[in-house]
Amino acid sequence: MVSLARKNLLHDRLRFVITVAGVAFAVTLVLVQVGLFLGLLGKATVTIENSSADIWVTSRETPNVDFAHSFPETTVLRVRGVAGVEKADNAIVQFMNIMLPSGAEEGCLVYGLEDFSAWNLPWDVESGDPTELRRGDFILMDRSAERRFGPFEVGDYREILGHRFRIIGATRGAASFTTAPVVFMDFRRAQGLQQTVHNRTSYILVRVAPGHDAAQVAERIRAVTPYNDVYTRAEWAARSRNYWVVSTGLGMNMGITVFLGILVGIVVVAQTLYTSAVEHVKEFGTVKAIGGSNWDIYRILGEQALIAAVVGYAIGAAMSFGMRPLLAQLHLNVLVSPQFAATVFAGTVLMCLGAAMLSFKRVAGIDPALVFRA
Amino acid sequence: MNAMLAPFCCDREERERDALSPREVLAVEDVRKTFEEGSQKVEVLRGVSLAVDQGEVVALEGPSGSGKTTLLSIMGCILTPSAGRIRIAGREVSGDEAALRDVRKRSIGFVFQQYNLFPALTAQENVEYALNVKGARGRGAAAEAARVLDLVGLGDRRRFLPRDLSGGQKQRVAIARALAGSPEVLLADEPTANLDTAVGTQILELFQKLAKDENKGLVIVTHDPKVRNVADRVVGIRDGRLSDPTEH
Repeated sequence: MVSLARKNLLHDRLRFVITVAGVAFAVTLVLVQVGLFLGLLGKATVTIENSSADIWVTSRETPNVDFAHSFPETTVLRVRGVAGVEKADNAIVQFMNIMLPSGAEEGCLVYGLEDFSAWNLPWDVESGDPTELRRGDFILMDRSAERRFGPFEVGDYREILGHRFRIIGATRGAASFTTAPVVFMDFRRAQGLQQTVHNRTSYILVRVAPGHDAAQVAERIRAVTPYNDVYTRAEWAARSRNYWVVSTGLGMNMGITVFLGILVGIVVVAQTLYTSAVEHVKEFGTVKAIGGSNWDIYRILGEQALIAAVVGYAIGAAMSFGMRPLLAQLHLNVLVSPQFAATVFAGTVLMCLGAAMLSFKRVAGIDPALVFRA
Repeated sequence: MNAMLAPFCCDREERERDALSPREVLAVEDVRKTFEEGSQKVEVLRGVSLAVDQGEVVALEGPSGSGKTTLLSIMGCILTPSAGRIRIAGREVSGDEAALRDVRKRSIGFVFQQYNLFPALTAQENVEYALNVKGARGRGAAAEAARVLDLVGLGDRRRFLPRDLSGGQKQRVAIARALAGSPEVLLADEPTANLDTAVGTQILELFQKLAKDENKGLVIVTHDPKVRNVADRVVGIRDGRLSDPTEH
């Protein structure tokens, strides 16, 4: 079957290039911006997602995992007594000042646990052994800290809140949304560093016994901890993410970016398709005169929109993926899951078809008798 | 009766006889068309009757504004008449736009003054696309397109785009497109207006040959006196009524 849509599109190459460029720009904008956003959001929940805790007990109204408040450490005893709880431990997550060799003071986010290996924290250990942390004033520091703290080696010393710690290993992938580098140390030492957490804890990590449902166990824990909030892993991750999305305006910002990307795509595609439709009015009149219907013409415009969508998406996606290594050098993670890529593709197709529909009214009114006009 | 004068002087008896003719492919009876321009009504056709047989070439002549293009549009089922009847290939034409479109697909082939070829399509594709619109697909459509292009002498120009063809060749492609799908009626609107005398004559001779060989009823709307040389009948139209063509 002869495709008048494809032939017309390729016949006017400049217009085709402009259309595809518009779509590709919109796709790149959405994929990169939202990918960056998702990459950033990933940092907000990376410890929640990687730890093996099924349930997190927090102080009341804790907004996200980084901004912890404290509550009595003895609460863990009540939690351990709840049916369905296999293991429950206290965990401190606290911002503390760290002194750099240069004399500068920076902030870091300290994770303090008694038994790191039981909670899969840290999950990617480059060197050192987390179980050794209990043996002295030792820390594990995440490699991402080098960007702010400068290079470090195992065996180096750093002062945290005036207390000297030896770096006994390095981790990878541990991060906070606030960009404060993550440091792992023993729970008791972390407790001892700051008055506000003496005999207190930031969280209780809970592992559910096999055969028990996390949501039901969480409900039981709520009953015995009336002054705390209790979340399953998914709930806690969602709460942490939502805090940054809503309270910081990042979500609105991202929404505007996506809206602008779609708007640019629609305007470019609609404008070029509409101009094309106007220029091909006589051809469409001929289509009608030889027996074609409005639907035949809609199909032509729709097919052109679809071609622009597919080619534009392919180029936009290729550009986005091509930019990932460059952005990675700037320590920016573009997170594009297959589901998100598929969603953007579907959105691109809908955007282009929607833009094509703006021309439908124009072509619907074409009088086939115009073919007799010279 | 002078064949050139026959159409405009046919009386009711003759029309009825024509209507019963088994060779009749197109007939309009007492067709009227009124357009509304603001509060004014303009009657463009005022009771036109005309019949065309298989293999017959009818030239329709008239000055600008006489109503010949409106009549052509009505015969081609592009416009509906305000009153009167139309029969094409023995079937009464009536109904909505979809019904008219079906008649256009099945029974009418158009040839336009400006050729109206699709610039992005080759000669073969121009014809094949028209067949696609009419519902033909695949190899059948390709073979039919090749056949009609051979008929108009463009078998060796199938892969040429319209921009690479001369005016006469473009009009041949347009004729091939009109012939594709074997409609009973061909309607041509000033088909030689953009061609020089020699090429125009060749096109008219081709029209005549195809109408005879392929048994098509052919109506040519024209100002070109050369058309009279190939027409079986010349019909005049003036002020929305058929008239004596010798008066033009």
